[in-house]
Formats: sequence, structure tokens, C-alpha cells
Amino acid sequence: MKHSIVFNWLKDAWEISINELKRIFSDGGVILIFFVAGMVYPLLYNIVYINGILEKTPIAVVDMADCSASRRYIREVDATREVKVAVRCTSMQEAEKLMQERKVKGILYFPSDFGDELAALRQATVGVYCDMSSFLYYKNALMAVNHVMLAEHHQIQVERYAATGLTDQEADQIVQGIPYEENNPYNPAFSYSIFLVSAILLIIVQQTLFYGMSLLVGTMREKNHKHVSLPEHLQGRGVGRVIFGRGTAYWTVYMGIAIYVAFIVPALFGLPQRGDFWNILMLLTIFVLDTVFFSMVWSSLITRRESVFMLFLFMSPICLFLTGASWPTFAIPGFWKVFSYLFPSTVGVQAYLNMSVAGGDLSTAYSQLNVMVIQSIVYLVLAFVAYYVENWISLHKERLRTRRDKLDAKLGIDRQKMRSIIEG
Amino acid sequence: MGFWKDIRAVIQRELLILVNRPLYLLGTVVPMVFCMVFCLTFFRDGLPHDLPIAVVDNDNTSLSRNFIRQLDATQLGESVRFDSFTEARHAMQSGKVTSIIVLPKGMSEKVQAQRQPQIEYYLNGLYFVGGALAYKDILMMINLANGAYQREILRMKGYSDEAIMGLIQPIVVDTHQIGNAYTNYGYYLTNLLLPGFLELIIIIVTIYSLGMELKYGTSKQLLKVAGGSIVKALMGKIFVATIVFTLMGLILMVTLYQWMHFPISGSIWNMFLDVFLLVMASEAIGITIIGFLPVPRLALSVGALYSVLAFSLTGFTMPLEAMSPWIQGLGTAFPLRHYYLFFIQEVVFGAGFAGWWKEVVYLLLFLLVPLVILPRLKNAYIYQNYPKE
Repeated sequence: MKHSIVFNWLKDAWEISINELKRIFSDGGVILIFFVAGMVYPLLYNIVYINGILEKTPIAVVDMADCSASRRYIREVDATREVKVAVRCTSMQEAEKLMQERKVKGILYFPSDFGDELAALRQATVGVYCDMSSFLYYKNALMAVNHVMLAEHHQIQVERYAATGLTDQEADQIVQGIPYEENNPYNPAFSYSIFLVSAILLIIVQQTLFYGMSLLVGTMREKNHKHVSLPEHLQGRGVGRVIFGRGTAYWTVYMGIAIYVAFIVPALFGLPQRGDFWNILMLLTIFVLDTVFFSMVWSSLITRRESVFMLFLFMSPICLFLTGASWPTFAIPGFWKVFSYLFPSTVGVQAYLNMSVAGGDLSTAYSQLNVMVIQSIVYLVLAFVAYYVENWISLHKERLRTRRDKLDAKLGIDRQKMRSIIEG
Repeated sequence: MGFWKDIRAVIQRELLILVNRPLYLLGTVVPMVFCMVFCLTFFRDGLPHDLPIAVVDNDNTSLSRNFIRQLDATQLGESVRFDSFTEARHAMQSGKVTSIIVLPKGMSEKVQAQRQPQIEYYLNGLYFVGGALAYKDILMMINLANGAYQREILRMKGYSDEAIMGLIQPIVVDTHQIGNAYTNYGYYLTNLLLPGFLELIIIIVTIYSLGMELKYGTSKQLLKVAGGSIVKALMGKIFVATIVFTLMGLILMVTLYQWMHFPISGSIWNMFLDVFLLVMASEAIGITIIGFLPVPRLALSVGALYSVLAFSLTGFTMPLEAMSPWIQGLGTAFPLRHYYLFFIQEVVFGAGFAGWWKEVVYLLLFLLVPLVILPRLKNAYIYQNYPKE
């Protein structure tokens, strides 16, 4: 019975797909990266950042004023969530030494005229010294001291206005001329884990897929020098079927992992999941597709099984910065903004933050989804190009080799001799 | 004299490998140069500025317009006008603005009647640095507006300007940032990110170069050249790499503290020592991993996991003391952690030897760890009895 071209095409693609799945599941290294790293990494990051909020940073107090105002200030600073007064010192030298020994992460200093200035209705100064070795120490010390300052202002101002003969209510109306209300709906306490872990999740999906696929490509290149990733019986033709077949295999496996990473992991650790299930599923569908084509193109540069780690491992932390979750997109220089569009993770993470964590609808990730579709198309085209180039190289191996030998002879390189020294 | 002769033979063989496999250069110098260019250009602003802050002006009077003008005048923020809160919220949810300020209807009128109109603001804490800085800017703006308003009233009541300052701002906070006077995020991150990348590259390359001897079955030849001694084989093999890595480390220090003028209160010579110890300790970790797991792909996967995790467990972003106690303990198993503690003493406080000698001891202890796995690695090199892939 004769089958149509379409049927044959699909049959080939199906076989290639099954074949690729077999390769994935029979390779210990790939299983390790896909299923162990892909599944354990998200858990690990959650465990590392489980508290997510730095509280009660120890600070030292040097109170040269020792008046009721400074004592009240110190009590209030100690009562904040950010800071605790760990030591009271009699001199700045003593406090500075404690900070250098890392027993305290900041110093609060009241000059001796603090109380007198306040009593004279002038401005009094309080000094804060922050250990800048982590910005969170700085943020904590500054926030605690400033919040107390504002509260104290209110207190002192009401007293002073009362002294000028105003009633409490009138004084309050002047002091709080324009009151304000604060809302931080998506990450109420500025928790480190909510922003960082949420951003890392999809980067893990992208990176593990890329490393795993590169491992397989490298293996095939080592084992089979002809028609590296094309099945033999197609004799170097049928690139479309190969891309479709292989792509389907990875996409199927990785949709499973992506669903685990994007839905189950946040649920396990109580990260916010405010998005609509079907919207997020659609995001994952496009993101994984994009990542599969991305990995196909870049893994074609990998010639040996293990070399992907040497060449690309350092990109993982860089991908995080490119998303704009930490360093704001608005401050990213133009060149790196363009560069960031090489990676599905840049827009994937943004779309995930907007929809899943902030609870937006599809329209809040509209531009990101568009970019992912464009990326997918471009990487699909590049995947075709990569296969054709690879084919050409494998068909012209002999010619390339003689050319290299000629070059070696010209430069006086003796590969045979080198090999004998290295390999014996 | 045989000792040095054997080592020299191994070094010569190693140089040939380097020439034959461009991958070593591609995996060592290229990533480091890339990361340096990345960090030094990506964070070049030091502190982000002109962050978009959505403003919904329901008042639309000279008072509210003045508020917006002043917001634009701050370095951190820049206003983006929206007609309705719904639109502004959508923009914030899409990550297009960092935050929203809602100026209430009738604000100007209420201020004049002393009826305390309430300003609302909303922050997006998911885009972390942007959200936190916008928060700082908004708080400052509102307090300034309050101050301006009070000044107006007090002037009408006939107070002198000095007395007014005492009334409006009775307490001034004077902030000193020790070790980073300009609150420069670029300095802060780059100081630790780049040594982190160096550690990552060293661990991976060390594992790779020792693992390839197993994979291609050349380890017997290596031992033969080294006169049958695993110690000589390792010393020779690592010698060339150590020179390259150390050079990279020194160039990094010179780039940061001399060329780019990152603030340093201590001496760059001590940082040379710190980065050299980081190089040695990272190599020791690499040797230990491949010796413990003489299967290249497993060792590389473990090395990758370890060196990426180092960025988190060093504690320069989220301090270690905020993590669980057992994770704090785990932190000490990373050379980068000790590099960081040394760095704090030398670069931040300029404390010198008395401040960092303990970290030197820790980093030197890493050099002893490979001794445990030497016999195992030697057996693997002789019998090649582990899977090669």
C-alpha cells in the first residue's frame, strides 16, 4: 500500500521522536540533569532562601547624649523588625572595633549635644554607620533608623506645636498635612525569596534543558561522525522531520518538568500563585517550545559530551541579571538589553512574574509572549540552518581534513607526534 | 633530581594538550573576559536612576502638578502619567512601572482646609531593586511635600526660617556607608560576582582536564610520564593551569581596584593573596570532586551544581545569618565564602592581617582535602574501571 507524502513525513518524525526519547531515557547523564537537577534545584533554592527576610540585624549604640530623647529613640529602634540593639558602647572606637569583628552590622551614634539641641528647638543630628558588605544590612539599619525618626518627628512636633498654643488636633493636622497609605501587594515584606526564587524557577527550566540536550548532541557527535543527528536512512535529507521529531520529544518531557517547577514547587513552599492556571499553562507551552529551539541551535556548537559546562555554565547567573528581576530593566545598558533577547528566560521570567506571582491576566505579559513567539520562529529557522551546515561539514569532511593537513605542514605541526606524547 | 624531571615532563605534555585542544582556552579566558566586560558595563550606572513611577493625578491642580514636577526632579524617579488607576495598575503588573502614586481628588482643597488628604502608593516588590529604590524615592517625596506644607503654614504664622527647620525636621539622620560611600550597587555586586565566576571556571576546568585523562584513556600515559606518582602527575598537570588562573585573578584585582578605582581601604597586595588562595582552594575542590567521582559527566554535573550554588551560599546578597543553621554551616564549605570574609576585612574595613588571618587558614585547609581522594584517583587512573561517559 502506498502512503501519501504527509503520512510518510509524520511517520518519520514519529520514529525520530521515539528514538530521541529512548536516547534521553537511556543516558544516565541526561537523566541526572533533566530529572535530578531539574527537580532538585528548585527545591534547593527554596530551602536556601526559605526565610527570605533578614530580621533583627545587630547594631551597636554609642549614646554620648544619654538623655530621655536618645533613650527613647534607642528603645524604638530596638523594637523595629529590622534591627536589634546588641551592644551599648561608650566610645566610637569600641563600636567600630565590634563592627570590624562583624559582631554588629551598624552603629547608631548620638552626639553629646543631641538632647540640648532638641531642648533648644533646633535640629539634632543622629549618625548611622552601615557595614556595606551586604546591602541588606544597610537597608535594615537605614529603614529602622528612618522610620523611628519619622515617628519621633511626629511626637516631637506635636509637643512643640502644643507649646505654641495649638490644640493636639490642630497640631496633628499640621504635622500630618498629607498622610499616606502604603501598599506592596505582590511582595508585602520585600521578601528576598519571593522575588529571587520566582525568577530562578524558569531559568532552571531553560538551563537544564539546554545542558541536557547539549550532552546528548555531544555524545552523538563523539559516536557518529556522519550525519550527526540525522537518521542514517534519510541520507542527509529530511531536516524538517528531524527538527519536528526531536523537538516534540524534548517538548513533551519538558512540559512535565515545567509544570512541576511552575505549579508544584511554589505550592510546596507557599510562594504566591495568583495567576490563572490556563494562562500560566499557555505561557509554559510557548516558553518550553522557545527553549527547545533555543537549545537546538546553541547545542549545535557542542562537539563533545562534557564541553557544554566549560563553555556555557557561567551564563546561568548572567541570565538572572538579564531578566531585570534584580537590576531593573530600565537601568540595563542598550547593548545588554538587545543581548538579553537571545534568551527565552529574559521574557519568560518576566511573564511568569507578571502573571503567576503578581496575578495579572494575559495582557500583562502580552509583549513578552510576543517576543517568545518571535524567538521561537527565529530559532526554528536557525535550527534548520545549523542542520544544513552540519550536513555540509559531514559531507565535506575529507576536503576539510586535507586542508587542515596542508595548513599543519605549512606551520610545521606534527599531530602524530603530539598524540603519542599525550596518549602514549 | 628525578622529581623535577618528571614534573617537567608532565608540564610539557600538558602544554601540548593545551595547544591541541582550543577548548581549554575557550573555556577559561573567554568566559572570564566576557564576565568582566559584562559586570563592568552592565552595572555601569552604579545606582539606577529615572525609574518610571506611575502617577494618577486625580486632583490636577497646581499643587499636584508641583508634586509631580518635584518627583521628576529627583534622581531616582521619573513620573509617568496615567488617567486611571486601572491603567496604572496594569502597567505595574506588566513590570512597565516600578510603583504607583495616587494623588486624591480634592487634595489641594483639603490641604488648604487642613483636612489631611491621603496619598496612596503601590509598590511592585517583584522587580526587587527597582521596587525598593522607588519606595525610597516616594517616601522622601511625601515627606518633602509634608515639610513644604508645614513651612507654608508656619511662615504665615510668622516663624523664622531657623525655627521652622527645628519644627519641621527636629532630627536629622546622617548616614555613613562604610566600604561603599556612594552606595554603588555596581561596586557591591561586581566585587563578589567576578571572583565567583573565577571560582566557577576554575572548578569546571580542573574537573574537565583531569576527567578527560580518564575519558580518553590517557591516564596511564600520564602516570607513566610522571614516573608512576599521582602527586607528581597532579602537580605537573595543575602547574600550567595555576599560572593561567592566578594571572587571571591578579588581572581581575588590578582591574577592579586600580583601573576601575573601586574603593578599597586596605592594600591591593593583600587582595592578591586572597585571590591566589581562592584559585588554589578552587583547584583543590575540583580535584576532590573528580577524585571522589571519577566519572567525568557526574563530576562535572556536581561541580556545576556546587559552583553555581556558591553565589548564594557566600552570603553577599542574602546574608547567611538569615538562612537555616545547617545551611550556614554549609556555607563554610565554599572557598568563595572565605574569600568574601577576607574581602570584608581588607576592602571594607582595611583591618589587615589581624582581621583576615583566620580566612587564610580556612582557605589553606581546602588544599588538604584532595589528599583524602588521592589513592582513589590513582586507582581510577591506573585501572580506568569507571564508566567513561
